[in-house]
Amino acid sequence: MKKTTLVGLIALGSLSMIGTASANDAVCGLNNGQAASGEPIKVGAIYGNAAPGDFSAATDAANAYFKCVNENGGIHGRPIQYLVENDQWNPELAAQAAAKLVKDEAVVAMVGNSSFVEMSVNAPMYAENGIMAMASGCAVSECFESSNIVSTNQGPLASSVGAAMYAVEELGATNISCIGMAIPSVGNWSCGAVQSYMESKGLNASYVLLNPAAPDVNSALLEAIASGADSILVNLPAGLAIAFLSVAEEQDLGDAYSWTSSTPLYDASVPKTLGEYWSGKMFVSAELTTIDGAGADNQNWLRVMDAYADPADPRDTFAQAGYLSARYFVKTMNEMNPVNVDNRALVTAAIQAIKGYDSDLMCGPYYVGRADRHMPNHAGIIVEVRDEAFHVVRDCFEYEGPYFEPILDAEKTLGLR
Amino acid sequence: MQITQIMQMTKSAKIGLLFALLAFTFLPVLAGGQWIKIFISTGCFILAASGVAFMYARLGMVSLGQVALMGIGGWVMLRMNHAFDLPFEINLAVAGAVTLVFGWLLAMPALKMRGLYLALITLMAAGGLEVIFSTYRFPNGGEGFWGVMPSVAAPFRRPLVATDDADYLRYIIFAIVVGFLIIELHMRAAPGRAWAMIRRSEAAAYASGVNVVYYKAWAFGLAGFLAGTSGGLLAGGLGLLDPATFRASESIMLFALMVVGGSRGWLGVVIAGVLYRVVPALFNDWTIDADIALVIFGAALLHAIITAPNGLSGQLIDLFGKVGKRT
Repeated sequence: MKKTTLVGLIALGSLSMIGTASANDAVCGLNNGQAASGEPIKVGAIYGNAAPGDFSAATDAANAYFKCVNENGGIHGRPIQYLVENDQWNPELAAQAAAKLVKDEAVVAMVGNSSFVEMSVNAPMYAENGIMAMASGCAVSECFESSNIVSTNQGPLASSVGAAMYAVEELGATNISCIGMAIPSVGNWSCGAVQSYMESKGLNASYVLLNPAAPDVNSALLEAIASGADSILVNLPAGLAIAFLSVAEEQDLGDAYSWTSSTPLYDASVPKTLGEYWSGKMFVSAELTTIDGAGADNQNWLRVMDAYADPADPRDTFAQAGYLSARYFVKTMNEMNPVNVDNRALVTAAIQAIKGYDSDLMCGPYYVGRADRHMPNHAGIIVEVRDEAFHVVRDCFEYEGPYFEPILDAEKTLGLR
Repeated sequence: MQITQIMQMTKSAKIGLLFALLAFTFLPVLAGGQWIKIFISTGCFILAASGVAFMYARLGMVSLGQVALMGIGGWVMLRMNHAFDLPFEINLAVAGAVTLVFGWLLAMPALKMRGLYLALITLMAAGGLEVIFSTYRFPNGGEGFWGVMPSVAAPFRRPLVATDDADYLRYIIFAIVVGFLIIELHMRAAPGRAWAMIRRSEAAAYASGVNVVYYKAWAFGLAGFLAGTSGGLLAGGLGLLDPATFRASESIMLFALMVVGGSRGWLGVVIAGVLYRVVPALFNDWTIDADIALVIFGAALLHAIITAPNGLSGQLIDLFGKVGKRT
């Protein structure tokens, strides 16, 4: 009995050691196992957490990665001090947070920003102050169409165009109704790009926009049906998208249309929430690799989260994007001359010089460059909701359409094509 | 009334001007970038609160649409900025004038209503404006009447003398002083006397030959002008506006805090503005949930209603008076 207990304890200890070793196998920055010391390098971030949702996943993941970096050599031996502010989806608070970080705290860069609001407000301020924001949760056009913001996520436009391409090429859609939010830099912008893509293919599209203050999903569905569409593209936040699909289920429209969605529906809880009715019917455009992706970098992200993040922190696309922004930032800083890492202008120049960073999290290379717009992530995958889970049905493919033409031209100029 | 009487400086006015001078000189120097932004916003809402305070104190009229009227001023300011190449001050004057007209429109039902019914009318107007703002958004340099485009907002031109945040805060402090002086001038001239009579009894005011309709509309117009000007200044603070700032609930909050601060003088309005914007910002800075401020505001409102009819400013003035007598 004693022997059995002893063996059990040894086995348990070994397993826990394996587990610890696994978590500590996370590769971060210089990865030399030495704790960083000296004067910290200040890095800022702004996220939104209030209704309509919590966008802190990206900054949580970036924070976890920076913790890991600080235990593994930091940036040239110095630790990162990560200062994070919540804009509460309030433009005034977003401006105040940016003023605090950029002017008062004099951060050298912003990393992991994730909000509906802050990019719209602060894009001109970042340009005026010569600071780069390596964002991770962009949802508005301003985020992709400004000189000093670059994001690892795709945002609703690219994601929706990806969904529309799949609907046309695999589901035979000829007329898409895009359901979005009535926010010009979100719904009009992204559904407008779907319309442009469809027109470029000689096909039809229209869009229905919901008032964010009083969204009426019943009316939106009726309007989509009245448009004569044969395919419906749901481009809404997850909660609202589920409400919209519930109404469609009540009308038993699952087989009457082909159904696609932009990334917000790519959340682990969604397949179960949608239930059996939508199994095999709903196809979602995902911005990064799957959460359980087997790639080395995705596995490293999971290890970093397990070792350095709170267990309650989400493991979702935004968290992947936050990790990726933080990793690219640290890589860039460690490639700089150590005497220059406190100089914001030189840090900005180094970030703008990023070209061809690779990760299995993203379908294409990450780059920045000096440009009026940045959208390095414009290729994705499609997952199908089936048997209460997501299944990849199309691997990495590049998005097409008039919106991407200037981006592709910029990539040619940078020598990436 | 002679011009010398109108221009006579009261003790309160002297203290107010000294306070403004100190704020004008030191606040932009001492505050960091974040707090300058907070004080810019606070200043705009102080100016807006002054309009709703004088209506309440002098006419007994409750307007729950002041923040929504700010939205109109902000909308016009942004539209003018993006449509024409005019100086900031002209755009601001147009924003104030257009909102003044809206104030008059809002006065139409007010001519027959008082108390709760008037408050409800103004609240419904604020609700209607909230829907319009959230549906059509604020101009950001786009084409057409609404001027909205799905991309980065076009640049906003600030006053030539106040292009950076610190100078813009000084500009707003100056605008607040001008706004307070405009109200004070009204108080000391014919409109002030007419409003005082209307507050006591509309029938008596009619019997005395006061044109009640005219002076009530004037009051709403003045409150609208102050709201429009403050909305225009707020637009200059960020270079853009968001519908969430102008929800009907914000008008109620501003009115409630004006009651807490006190409606009868400049100090009460300043306290209202500070409670409205500085207290939540402090909580945010201390990483305390800013919604706790709502609980504090509720308690402060109860306190004001039960024990302080002149608000916190009345209590502070009484306290200073007692201390002054003892010394």
